[in-house]
Amino acid sequence: MSATAAVVRSDVRSARANAARRPVAYGAAALATLVAVWWLATAIPGLVPTRVLPSPVDVVVRFGALIAEPFSGATLFGHALVSLQRWSIGVLAAIGLGVPLGIALAWLPPLRAVVTPAFELLRYIPPFAWVPIAVLWFGATTTTQAAIVFIAAFPACIINTQLAVSQVDSILVRAARTLGAGAATTLRRVVLPVAAPTVFTGLRIAFGNGWMALVGAELIVGKQGLGFLISQGQINDSAATILVGMTTIGVLGALIDVVLQRLQRVALPWRPASAKPLE
Amino acid sequence: MAAAAASNAASPPAIAKMELRGVSKTFHARGGETRALEPCDLAIAKGEFVTVVGPSGCGKSTLMMIAAGLEAPSAGEILVDGRPAGPAGPSRTVVFQRFALFPSETVAENIAFGLRVARTERAEIERRVAEQLALMGLERFAGAYPHELSGGMQQRVAIARALAVRPDILLMDEPFGALDAQTRTVLQEEVSRLQRELHYTVLFITHSVEEAVYLSDRVVVMSRGPGRIKREIAVPRDARWRGLEIEAAGNDASFLAAKREIWELIRDEIVRQ
Amino acid sequence: MAATASARWFDAAPGADRTLPFWRREPGRAQWLAIAFASLAAMLFAWFALTRPDGLISPLFLPPPSEVWEAFVRLLKRPYLGSTLGQHVGASLGIVLGGWLLAGAVGLPLGIAMGWWPKVRWLAFPIFQILRPVPPLAWIPLAILWLGIGDSARIFVVFIAAIVPWVMNSMQAVDSIDGLLVRAAMTLGASDRQILTRVVCRTALPTLVAGARIALGNAWTTLVAAELLAATAGLGYIALNASRTLEIGILLVAMAIIGVLGALFSIGMQLLTRVVAPWSRAGSSA
Repeated sequence: MSATAAVVRSDVRSARANAARRPVAYGAAALATLVAVWWLATAIPGLVPTRVLPSPVDVVVRFGALIAEPFSGATLFGHALVSLQRWSIGVLAAIGLGVPLGIALAWLPPLRAVVTPAFELLRYIPPFAWVPIAVLWFGATTTTQAAIVFIAAFPACIINTQLAVSQVDSILVRAARTLGAGAATTLRRVVLPVAAPTVFTGLRIAFGNGWMALVGAELIVGKQGLGFLISQGQINDSAATILVGMTTIGVLGALIDVVLQRLQRVALPWRPASAKPLE
Repeated sequence: MAAAAASNAASPPAIAKMELRGVSKTFHARGGETRALEPCDLAIAKGEFVTVVGPSGCGKSTLMMIAAGLEAPSAGEILVDGRPAGPAGPSRTVVFQRFALFPSETVAENIAFGLRVARTERAEIERRVAEQLALMGLERFAGAYPHELSGGMQQRVAIARALAVRPDILLMDEPFGALDAQTRTVLQEEVSRLQRELHYTVLFITHSVEEAVYLSDRVVVMSRGPGRIKREIAVPRDARWRGLEIEAAGNDASFLAAKREIWELIRDEIVRQ
Repeated sequence: MAATASARWFDAAPGADRTLPFWRREPGRAQWLAIAFASLAAMLFAWFALTRPDGLISPLFLPPPSEVWEAFVRLLKRPYLGSTLGQHVGASLGIVLGGWLLAGAVGLPLGIAMGWWPKVRWLAFPIFQILRPVPPLAWIPLAILWLGIGDSARIFVVFIAAIVPWVMNSMQAVDSIDGLLVRAAMTLGASDRQILTRVVCRTALPTLVAGARIALGNAWTTLVAAELLAATAGLGYIALNASRTLEIGILLVAMAIIGVLGALFSIGMQLLTRVVAPWSRAGSSA
């Protein structure tokens, strides 16, 4: 049944209860099938070597082991904590610098002319391309990792903030002026609250970018962290370790985003501006 | 039947509340220049309700933006109470077509905005907000956010917000243009009632001739763009149909005559294009 | 009539909104260029001044412009680490474009199918939802384990990096088509397949190209990282080695080339959007 027929049918009959249940059923079935195939493939002896693809059970066992005992310096929690620390520092720096700068760029057009050349030149260098020079400048320390996170998160912060602020309907600014508000009051009470939901969405993107960059940086330098964990897994030929690490990275990344979404809904209940944030 | 410019029975020869003298506007864009407004002279007396009508593109909105201080005229000056008007501010508040309510503030907070900016003391703010809520029938919605309200209610809030600061003159830029016909009728009647009771000084922009006649003491007709003031037509305050609903007023002969006269002037401009 | 003293606070350059102070006004084109140029010149000057022999910044930290220029010339003239600059660039480009196109060949049809047929979406979407949070770079160790340090490992990782945007954006492009258009086509007698090809794919084209652009950006970013870890040629490989041997000039040149190529990709895709879908206003930079 194609989408066109579905369009017509949904006009004729709204079967909301059914419509919600079926996708979930299909999705669950698809995932269950994948896991089953995976398990079968590894259960047949000789078909797939365990160093290449461990069985699901192996992965779960390894997960338990990593929580209980240190591997390459720390338990799973230990590595995760270190990663989160570095990520927080980088992301907070990106917000602290990016959001005010984004607001300034939106509010003061001449400033854009000053900043744009440098920004455009540097923007297309991927965060990882900065890793070698960051290592040279800061050594193999937390600062390097945090710097890479910062570089990854900063563009999204500043661009989306600028976009959000400049797309606040100018009629609201005019209304504020006619009511006697000066620039500071207008910014504080009208422009920023209206832009806030979109800024927040941009921040969520920046946070995600930062997390992805961190993992990469930890693959290359450092002695702790989730990225380090999975690279150690590769060196020790333990695919199970790698899979546990990857899952943890993915889960944490998704969790961060979900928490932020909830936070946004609670703190900023009014309808967001119509601006669409950039990836 | 129609009076020529400024022979309005209502105003004694005092200093006008607001005066635009020789106001013109030329926009400079990358391609060249656009003349939006030829030099215009307009005087509005205290307590007078003046409406500007004209064909699309005649520059009436530009005229309003200049009167509000949101646009600078290319030439000419704006005087309020005989003195040069300063930058845009609460002496000349504006009600916009698209409401322009602050989405992150409740109805009460929106109404109080101008007062808070002026650092009015809290007791006075609360008093005036309550007054406006009662005046516009918004008591039940004081704590609601704009996006929860219908268009008509939002515009009521906008009017309340503009009036709360007790402006010298109220500017209304096609305030009912974004509303459906029924809501528009209700609000027109309400504004008419408010005007008869409270005698605000109002500059009103619309493209509806019926609305202009119904609400105003004087109707200013503009020519097509670049606009200039073509003719001013007085609408007697003591006309028979004043105080009636629009439906009923629409049956009155003098009302229809005024409408026809104004419409002929506008149609003339549209046809000549 | 002349403007009187009351016009004092209106004075400013013609064309600007004179009710605002100058720092809130949008500069004209000439002014904009002047400011931008001055800013750039100031930065260059600072670079020169600070990296002089007796300057504040040591050449190990940031080499002077002359050294960077020499490094660039040297890379052009002689092979570095076994390949010429052209060969390195070619290696990087080959892998990125290969992985990206492969991901497109798989992801584009899959995404469109997911947008069009609900059943396909119900089956495939959860899988991508699970894949998405895992950063593509996190696949590198697994790729090395499975495929060794060779081209195939990097193509694999680039593929993974690109396929998620290809699929998700294509799906969303089809999904966001106004149902009204589909219904209109139906009333004109179009069959399912005709609607899919003639209405949906055409209208969704700008968004599809936008998805392709994001996928390319992802691919490029991931490739650079992959080359830092598992390569024998390519720009990332140059960067890594230059940092190890403290040839910072070469490192900076490699970074610059990486940036330039990234910019060219982005601009190229924007031009493509304009060629393929001139009616769209989409495709603004990101």
